[in-house]
Amino acid sequence: MPYILNTEKDIQEMLAAIGVHSMEDLYAHLPREILISQPLQLGSGLSEQEVDEYTKKLAEKNTPIAGFNSFLGAGCYEHYIPAALNYIISRAEFNTAYTPYQAESSQGILQAIYEYQSYICLLTGMDASNASLFDGASSVAESVLMALRISQRKKVLIASTVHPEYKKTLQTYLSGLDFITTEVGCGEDGFVDMQALCELSSDEVACIVLQSPNFFGLIENNEQLCAAARSKGVLSVLVTNPSGLSILKEPLSQGFDIVCGDGQTLGQEMHLGGPSFGFLATKNSFLRQMPGRIVGKTVDTNGRPAYCLTLQAREQHIRREKATSNICSNQSLNAIAAAVYLSLMGEEGMRQAGLYALNLTHYLYEQMKEIKEIRFPFSSRFYNEFVWQIPNAQKVIDKLYKKNIIAGFYVGNFYPQLKDCVLSCCTEKKTKEDIDSFVAALRETALA
Amino acid sequence: MMERKVIFEKSSSGRKASYIKKPEITLRQAEEILPKDLLRKEVPLPSLGELEVVRHYTNLARLNFSVDTNFYPLGSCTMKYNPKINEKIAGLSGFTNIHPYQKEDSIQGALQLLHHLEQMLCEITGMKRFTFQASSGAQGELTGMLMIRKYHRIKRNKKTKVIIPDSSHGTNPATSSMCGYETVVIKSTPQGLVDIEKLYNATDDSVAAIMLTNPNTLGLFEENILKIAQIIHEKGGLLYYDGANFNPLLGIAKPSLMGFDVIHLNLHKTFSTPHGCGGPGAGAVGVNEKLLDFLPVPLVDTKRNKFYFNYRVKHSIGRVRGFYGNFNVLVRAYAYLLRLGSPGVVRVAQNAILNARYLSSKLKSYYQLASLKPSMHEVVFSCTKQKEKGISALDIAKRIIDFNMHPPTMYFPLIVSEALMVEPTETESKQTIDYFIETMIAIDKEIKENPDIIKNAPHNTPVTRVDEVRAARQLDIRWKKNGD
Amino acid sequence: MSVLKFTKTHEWAKIDAQTAVVGITDYAQKSLGDIVFVELPKAGSVILQGKRFGTIESTKAASELYAPLGGEVIEINKELVNNPQWINESAFEKGWMFKVKLADVSQINSLLDENAYEELVAKEAH
Repeated sequence: MPYILNTEKDIQEMLAAIGVHSMEDLYAHLPREILISQPLQLGSGLSEQEVDEYTKKLAEKNTPIAGFNSFLGAGCYEHYIPAALNYIISRAEFNTAYTPYQAESSQGILQAIYEYQSYICLLTGMDASNASLFDGASSVAESVLMALRISQRKKVLIASTVHPEYKKTLQTYLSGLDFITTEVGCGEDGFVDMQALCELSSDEVACIVLQSPNFFGLIENNEQLCAAARSKGVLSVLVTNPSGLSILKEPLSQGFDIVCGDGQTLGQEMHLGGPSFGFLATKNSFLRQMPGRIVGKTVDTNGRPAYCLTLQAREQHIRREKATSNICSNQSLNAIAAAVYLSLMGEEGMRQAGLYALNLTHYLYEQMKEIKEIRFPFSSRFYNEFVWQIPNAQKVIDKLYKKNIIAGFYVGNFYPQLKDCVLSCCTEKKTKEDIDSFVAALRETALA
Repeated sequence: MMERKVIFEKSSSGRKASYIKKPEITLRQAEEILPKDLLRKEVPLPSLGELEVVRHYTNLARLNFSVDTNFYPLGSCTMKYNPKINEKIAGLSGFTNIHPYQKEDSIQGALQLLHHLEQMLCEITGMKRFTFQASSGAQGELTGMLMIRKYHRIKRNKKTKVIIPDSSHGTNPATSSMCGYETVVIKSTPQGLVDIEKLYNATDDSVAAIMLTNPNTLGLFEENILKIAQIIHEKGGLLYYDGANFNPLLGIAKPSLMGFDVIHLNLHKTFSTPHGCGGPGAGAVGVNEKLLDFLPVPLVDTKRNKFYFNYRVKHSIGRVRGFYGNFNVLVRAYAYLLRLGSPGVVRVAQNAILNARYLSSKLKSYYQLASLKPSMHEVVFSCTKQKEKGISALDIAKRIIDFNMHPPTMYFPLIVSEALMVEPTETESKQTIDYFIETMIAIDKEIKENPDIIKNAPHNTPVTRVDEVRAARQLDIRWKKNGD
Repeated sequence: MSVLKFTKTHEWAKIDAQTAVVGITDYAQKSLGDIVFVELPKAGSVILQGKRFGTIESTKAASELYAPLGGEVIEINKELVNNPQWINESAFEKGWMFKVKLADVSQINSLLDENAYEELVAKEAH
């Protein structure tokens, strides 16, 4: 029997010690009505070799993104991941450990998470970070709940340019509670409508949620937006791509109170969108309203530096119905992977990755400008993705797909009013050749 | 031991590892492309070499206990062995290198896997459908309870309360609050079960649901589960099953037969996916007919032999995360179930109970059992006898570390004083459990002979007991340059 | 001459004619354990009798604080926020939390005197 060590002899000895005769006796006190009377239909169990062969065939039914010339981003990005990363986080003492509740036998995990928290603070400029959350979408929801607790207000503003799946998640998270969420639209240039933000801000509003670079890839007027919100006592929450922070201005200096987002771009494989992790950072003054686990540095009884989970009184296992969140676990392994990624890439590597992505994306943009059928509805103030428009966009996408090119994400799926718009992305993985062949195929298709 | 430095203190400016290739286009500076005021001046990250990074993290790894290195009987967490074939399969590029917005025809294998895994979990639990969006048990609870909330809203039922036994996991009341419900706590019987009379008296038309773990956190099966279901259903409430303790029921009993309307399973507990220092996990949420229309979107369905994402769910609650869930965790759970098959799952449950019951039968004369009822997969001791002699459950837990085993869960459930909750899991051998038993007896003996060795434990760890009070009073939760 | 009174939720009030100083009892600090954080009301704010005025946290527990008496907060123990251990060390002296100008002196009648409080503690301890 796979994964069971007890032999028949062991089992007999153990049953005798307990004072019963059979395995079935162990649960004879369960009501008959709830017991399974017929054997389950799960097959008879496979050898490891069979499982290996079968699942390999299943995996081969998928085409990895590397098998395409892909310009797909929209919240999940393909980056180069140094080989050492997977090697490190596959270590059993990270992969098969649990939450570091027993500090003395978990110092490595605790220090790694402390370093992760530090990395998030360094990137965002914020004072404090938690030990990670589930993903970008739920990090937005948790940030908003936090802002609602801090402000004790009832209304939430969210920019229409925040990732639509994040907006939907927020809506679901708030659906059981007595809060009102209003969307702040964007202008024709794709940026958040400043006037609408000013009009909607009031002393009843807890926070405004902005995304920058926004879903269309545009870098928002963060400083002005934050200032407008602050003038009404409204907190500013930023959703951002942490790898973009290698070149973009740190959110604290722009006036944000809470910064969150998905950490997938920091060394995580895409695997169909999960697992990655969510991050959340804030200012010292709001630290006690942060949800999730936090690691702190302290000393042991001999005065040596040591780490442990701290501020646990905020959490569900102590506060129960009064907790800051129901969140119990985090995505530790993913957070540690992010710290390893940032350590390996370092200052120079991160700066390069950001700069290359910026250059490649703008190179693609410049090349596309040569095709007269293509229009660009929005500004060119983007980082690593942008929106373009072409007649019969969905057909164009399909034609390119037949040539093994994924042109990008069809924006109309989320924004029906943005017809024929496509969102395309370049990370440092793209080459000049990739882009040139994409543009050539696009030109050919547009002419046809 | 050399003092452990944080990674930032190992940085040497100018050191670099060069992982990515330079594009063959003319590179412009960021200021030439974007307005300067949008750019940051410096990137305050360290500069390290690969060997330093690998050595740093490898040495950190060595400071931890884990399932692969130590017995880990952490109650309620089901720290079973994580099979390595799962890891191998999860690492296939056909599963790792796929984008959530790729066309469905290029991810048919992934969708087939999700579909088949859902069918297997339905077979095991008797539920009608599952969603895999939740990343954990707690998020599964939120998903399930929001479905219950919407169900009552659509039916125009006036519901304001959720009943939760005092032995429950802290996530249950926290979730109920997040769904806007008032939590009503029911005191357990002296033997640790739901008090049927109290439940009956507390249940009126305003009760939306009861959240229940079964076996409960004392490791006891709620024998009156059918009566509980009847009481709640009669008043129009629903039953939520917290599947944290599902392991001993695998292939033996079904939550659907107990009357549960919505359940979550922790795939990182029962279905062998690694805990990764506290995540990623996956919470699979299953429902019966009543709640089918409320599931999050998308679901995976088939049409003309093709798998596709179905966004058409009549009263869907929406979504609790981006994309579809922790897919890569689901791959591992799937591989596990393929390997076990029907006979395998039953053996899991049986051996889980056997190991726990054996352990309790050997230790009950030394440590007081929290309940006289037969335990299932875990056993809760109350170290009150030891406490009277000046040794707390915490002291005992710390002393266990010296014997190279991870301590049991301490001080939970809250209704048991000086609680130690031991869950050996089915993957451990009689020999390992015997070693744990011997150790526990030896520690009990030490209380008389050498109490200080327990009070000052652990002795063999990289650090001695950690000052949690100082950690909370003098908060230091991030490294700062120059220590400022 | 001041009078010492108590609440069922383990706060104390040292009443001096029109004002009272408020803190938590020695029994409360002992059951909470090492106190690591205390949240106090703002000076100038108005608190209501029996309503929440702050939060207190130890490493193992968290608890709401309830006002023994209503009125305007005229002074707070600013240093206490940075030295929450004072509550453990000296719950009735160094651990005082704030001073309130009483809105309604008759509220005092609903508080427990020392004997009644001791009885309550004796009962809870069992």
